[in-house]
Amino acid sequence: MWIYIVRRLVWIPILLLFVSLVTFALGRFGPGDPVVVMLGNRYDESTAERLRDELGLNRSFVVQYGDYMWGFFKGDFGESLRFRGRPVRDLILPKMWVSAQLGFAALIISVGIGLPLGFFIATRQGSWIDPTSVALSLFIMSIPVMVIAPALLWVGCLKLSWFPCSGWGGFFDSRLVIPAIVMGVPGIAGMTRIMRASTLDVLGQDFIRTARAKGLSEWKVNSVHVFQNAMIPIVTILAFSCAGLIGGAFITETILGIPGIGRFAVDAIFDRDYPVIMAITLIGSIAFVIANLIADISYAFIDPRIRLN
Amino acid sequence: MKFEFLLGNLKINDRQLPRFIQRLVRKKLAIVCILALLVLYTCGIFAECVSPYGYTDQDYSSILQSPNSDHWAGTDRTGRDVLTRTLWGVQNTLILTVVAMLTGGLVIGVTLGLLAGYMGGKTDGVIMRIGEIFASFPDILLVIILAATLRPRILELARWVEDSTAIDGLVRTGIVDYFVVSFALVAFGWVGMARLVRGQILALREADYIQAARAIGASTKRILFFHLLPNCISVIVVTVSMGMGALTGTEIVLSWLGLGIQPPRPSLGTMLLGAGNIGTLRDTPWELLVPGIAAFIMVVAWNLLGDALSDALNPKTR
Amino acid sequence: MKKFGVSIIFLSIALIIGCGGGSATEEISDVGDQEIRLTDAIPENPVVEPAAEGVFRRIWSDPPTLDPALVSDTTSMGIVAEVFSGLVTLNTDLRLEPDLAESWEISSDGTTYTFKIRENATFHNGKQVTATDFKWSLERAANPQTVSPVAETYLNDIVGVMDVIEGRTSEISGIKVIDDLTLQITIDAPKAYFLAKLTYPTAFVVDRENVESGGQTWTDEINGTGPFKLKEYKIGERIVLERFDNSNENDGGVSLIVMNLAGGQSMAMYENNEIDITGVGLFDLERVLDPNEPLNRELVIAPPDFSISYIGFNTQMAPFDDLKFRQALNHAIDKKLIAEEVLSNLVTPAYGILPPGFPGYNEQLEGLRYDSELAKQLLSESKYSDGDTRPRIVVTVPGRGGSVGLDMEVILEMWRQVLGVEVEIQQVEWATYLEDLNKNKFQAFAGLGWEADYPDPQDFLDILFHSDSKLNHGQYSNGQVDLILENARINPDPIDRIKLYQNAEQLIVTDAAWVPLWFEGERHVLIKPYVKGYRLTPMTVPKLSQVKIEK
Repeated sequence: MWIYIVRRLVWIPILLLFVSLVTFALGRFGPGDPVVVMLGNRYDESTAERLRDELGLNRSFVVQYGDYMWGFFKGDFGESLRFRGRPVRDLILPKMWVSAQLGFAALIISVGIGLPLGFFIATRQGSWIDPTSVALSLFIMSIPVMVIAPALLWVGCLKLSWFPCSGWGGFFDSRLVIPAIVMGVPGIAGMTRIMRASTLDVLGQDFIRTARAKGLSEWKVNSVHVFQNAMIPIVTILAFSCAGLIGGAFITETILGIPGIGRFAVDAIFDRDYPVIMAITLIGSIAFVIANLIADISYAFIDPRIRLN
Repeated sequence: MKFEFLLGNLKINDRQLPRFIQRLVRKKLAIVCILALLVLYTCGIFAECVSPYGYTDQDYSSILQSPNSDHWAGTDRTGRDVLTRTLWGVQNTLILTVVAMLTGGLVIGVTLGLLAGYMGGKTDGVIMRIGEIFASFPDILLVIILAATLRPRILELARWVEDSTAIDGLVRTGIVDYFVVSFALVAFGWVGMARLVRGQILALREADYIQAARAIGASTKRILFFHLLPNCISVIVVTVSMGMGALTGTEIVLSWLGLGIQPPRPSLGTMLLGAGNIGTLRDTPWELLVPGIAAFIMVVAWNLLGDALSDALNPKTR
Repeated sequence: MKKFGVSIIFLSIALIIGCGGGSATEEISDVGDQEIRLTDAIPENPVVEPAAEGVFRRIWSDPPTLDPALVSDTTSMGIVAEVFSGLVTLNTDLRLEPDLAESWEISSDGTTYTFKIRENATFHNGKQVTATDFKWSLERAANPQTVSPVAETYLNDIVGVMDVIEGRTSEISGIKVIDDLTLQITIDAPKAYFLAKLTYPTAFVVDRENVESGGQTWTDEINGTGPFKLKEYKIGERIVLERFDNSNENDGGVSLIVMNLAGGQSMAMYENNEIDITGVGLFDLERVLDPNEPLNRELVIAPPDFSISYIGFNTQMAPFDDLKFRQALNHAIDKKLIAEEVLSNLVTPAYGILPPGFPGYNEQLEGLRYDSELAKQLLSESKYSDGDTRPRIVVTVPGRGGSVGLDMEVILEMWRQVLGVEVEIQQVEWATYLEDLNKNKFQAFAGLGWEADYPDPQDFLDILFHSDSKLNHGQYSNGQVDLILENARINPDPIDRIKLYQNAEQLIVTDAAWVPLWFEGERHVLIKPYVKGYRLTPMTVPKLSQVKIEK
């Protein structure tokens, strides 16, 4: 068991090394010079050269990479090229926080509706509710966000004046509602299906039959035995969802005017703001890797078969 | 990630394939989905014949017309037929997603999954570790980086090829865009498939008939492709079906960002971008809704189909 | 200044994507200056309640810089011009006015300017503005360490500036401090437009202590001289400007300006009372123009910007090295049709270079108007009449929206229909676009515009078409035009000067160096009725201090 965990832990730095190397190389060898973007239309070669020197873009790839990674582990993500002189950390952390709150609100919607729904339809197997709910949630999931976002804005903000049209005011603010719906509702389908599959899995197992045979009420069997056991794999899924929170959702953020990390990342890519791209990619990867680790380890504890493998 | 989990404990005995098809047929929704996809894709592929208009044909005397008998889905701001452009957009999406699925999902994903599962040991370790590296990127972000950085380089290459050889019209066909976008999609599309196939193989590899095949001296290649692969078909079918929905969505997002097929060729993402505002929705909704519905049908049909397939194949939900 | 991304056509994209981009993307949204900038979209923040008194709320994008020495775009200019100031300024009628200088004298040979600085001119912290501050600020702007992309363009008339820019010395020999409040500037030739150039932020005054103690991020805590103080700047979220009370123009107007930077749908925000001003894009125009629509009463139609959008040809590259071919392409485009039918008259077709209302605008200019027969004839007479041997034609446009602009799509189709000329269009993102543009690598380029920096024809014709100009990306070169432009620089007679520029403009247009496309037609802007005194100017000038909120 412990060997398994240690093996996983040792693998993480190697994983991150590759991820960072690829990102860094793509940025450096791709076309489009960040210095040119900074100077804009008043570009001239000598100014550009001075700027390159100043920013250290003239050094060799390995030196630049090493320099960057050294800083990264000390918590220094470098300075943004686009917003000159500003530490990347100060730029992206507030935006990640915004996206995380928004993602969390969306997750509440998907989990809050998806889990009970999935559980419910699993216990009603064979009735019309089951296929209908699954189909319906898939249906909603498939509506392109580019269509649903303006539509919701039109109805919720202009027609009914229930919510402001855009912007961000923190977690407890009415502005959160529309983006949270746009991002959260599509997730219901996934949650429903996972919960449904998991519940069905549990329902088919012997101990449930035993519980029923003991004469426990249907409600008690469902709530105590089935639901609790069905939740175990869901926890690991939630770990991934939480890692995804900081990724943001750039389409929603762009259309609805939310100062989150998704839009900022896309802007950074188009403006060749390498330090920002690197930092976001790396942090995203780290979050994912850690979530993966937690999922694997918790699974190993739950399921002895994996431990032995 | 998510559908992978769903399929995790899916072990199918494929000798029951005929029964599986029977049960699938009984699912009316699945049939509707297949039909919808067939109709939409056929119209897309034959967009040139289906529509009397070209995708750049501009008619300044019929600008922003609402749907009528000449233009079933209305016209846009330059008098182009919205339905025609949507169908061409569907064609683009179809080509890109199919190419990405064939190369990334099927060729790379299945082969690596087979290898990893059957060979085990170091091969397995290396393949799965590489897969993990790919999987741990924030994928859509890296797809964007890839598409943004590769395109100009490859375009230059294509121009050079065209100028220095007798080949002509290479760039105009948009082949560069197809290449770049499918490459970006492929880079991340293979991992999920490889994992699932590997899982299936791990379960099968100690089965009696594989042992028997090995005992009579069948080559590795033969065992992989003649004995093991057929038994993974159902997993692959379900994964492809669900994956196509996701790929379609990603392709639309890429072209929405301007990284897909370049104008004047229409793409669904570009159309949705141009029309994605409240003003359009209020005054000329067909500009947004027609490409939106086309995108929706593709995604929902693949998703529902995938769901029906996995249901039909999963013994536990019978 | 250069503005990127054409006109209204990009509006929808600017709305959705453009806002908040980087230095370059910023400029996409800058299109039409006011127009898009207003439309740029932003969210509101809870700090300022929607209806608070004296607050003017609008949308903006992240400025690429707030350092006056580095400003080269309208987004930065819009903020810097309110927070900093210089010797002279342009008022909202675009007339030159004294600002920190109360008066000036020009020597009889027209090369020495002596400025008298106002006694009550102070920085926000109360410190007196002196001639030494100006000398230091200008030298700082020109210093290579500052890496100003514009110092050469705006200051190079001053004697000795080039020595500083090229790093030979750090003092500008042509600037002398006579006493605390008297500054003398010597220029190399009697150039009539010199004073106008000083209205650009490159020549603004900054506080040495502020700059030197703040390091690279000194603009976080600005000690400026303008009518507003930068109260808050959260990147990607908002900028708040606060009225500076000691300012010379205190008139009890607006007290806070809140600029939202996060994007969104500006029309919806305006209708929902989240912002006080917005540009009207193509998609909402029809509704807003309807007299029965309540919004119609809030519509303000402003005269066009001093800006032009165009397709540039590289006149040194085949097939654009052939005059007749260029002319044929010009004549094949029915701009009037596009403007009326496709762009709903949001733009005015451009046949010359100088925008209407701009000094030197020539109504009699003979443009290359739509004439399909003439276009065909010119094509057949050109070297490239044969489609099989004609080199490949690629027009490059910048951007990332996936849309090359409605106008470009129509123009390509017109070229195909009228001339049978197939043109490829390629969209590249900003980084690559700028890089290649500056290397003059494009055969033809579009999606670009030029907006006036100061009201003088030199700003358009000399900067964009003189064969030595760095911004002449089409490498247009006509000895006769160069000669006229050089003469016009130093011609003391205003009327003669204008005539020279008009001659040059006619030559350039006949040479078909560009396809001039649009002047941002009349700009349609919605302003809440309680906002008074907001002037829609065709150029970016300081004006927010005149805004009043009356409820």
